[in-house]
Amino acid sequence: MISALDISTSALVAQRVRLDAISSNIANMSTVRNENGEMAPYEGRFVIFQTDEEKKTKHGAAGVKIASVETEKVEPNYKHEPGNPMAIKEGKWKGFVAYPKINMTEQFVDALQATRAYEANIGVMEISKNMGQQTLRILG
Amino acid sequence: MENGILKSSTIPILQQVISFAQDRHEVLAGNVANLDTPGYRVRDLSIESFQQRLKDAIAARNQRTEPLSPGMTASRRGDALSDVSDSMRTILFHDDSDVGMEQQVLQMSKNQFMHNLAISLMNTQFQMLQTAISERV
Repeated sequence: MISALDISTSALVAQRVRLDAISSNIANMSTVRNENGEMAPYEGRFVIFQTDEEKKTKHGAAGVKIASVETEKVEPNYKHEPGNPMAIKEGKWKGFVAYPKINMTEQFVDALQATRAYEANIGVMEISKNMGQQTLRILG
Repeated sequence: MENGILKSSTIPILQQVISFAQDRHEVLAGNVANLDTPGYRVRDLSIESFQQRLKDAIAARNQRTEPLSPGMTASRRGDALSDVSDSMRTILFHDDSDVGMEQQVLQMSKNQFMHNLAISLMNTQFQMLQTAISERV
């Protein structure tokens, strides 16, 4: 009973980290410099889930954990802004500014999916709590 | 003799049902937790084999020489829909996992119902014992 709550909690944590990554992607939709102030468009982050065998019951149920956070390696979104100080000085993309290529629709659908998965796990926790309470009713 | 009071009741059977339901609930919770894990395969405890083992155990305990009602042999009903779900067992999502949220929630609700039913029955048994002990209704 208690490990069912642990398993559901591990999923809540994992889905929240996923939502963190999504909100970071949306917040940095127009970020053209990296954390050191260098010219580098932001790269979208996404998380990879993995079964967590540490949160395991003797019957083979397993929790979930974040295996890694990956960055999306895609061609930036070039916009022609010659007056912008961040514009590329020479080469093929002279006068263009490299913006991150974040697909907002994709991000919002992903956020919706994460929210639903979060809610599903809350529902499971409600069932776990109900079963625990019913068990205590045996005592009268 | 210490087991005499409980042996004649169904409390030990209900206890097995409750602990099975609780263990199965943990496995199902793991499935929902891994909804978005790539490559994850649904895990479950076999309710059929549990009920078969329980049935055998009850039969062994009672050790009746003749059946309670002759001619009425218990037979396991086949589920006509199980063939459909068997044919869909190999379908995978794009991320190589096969967790369907609807199926899991359905299994979980059924499991919860079985668990709470067993507890209600057990409560009734205990109330009957209580009544017998206090010698008044």
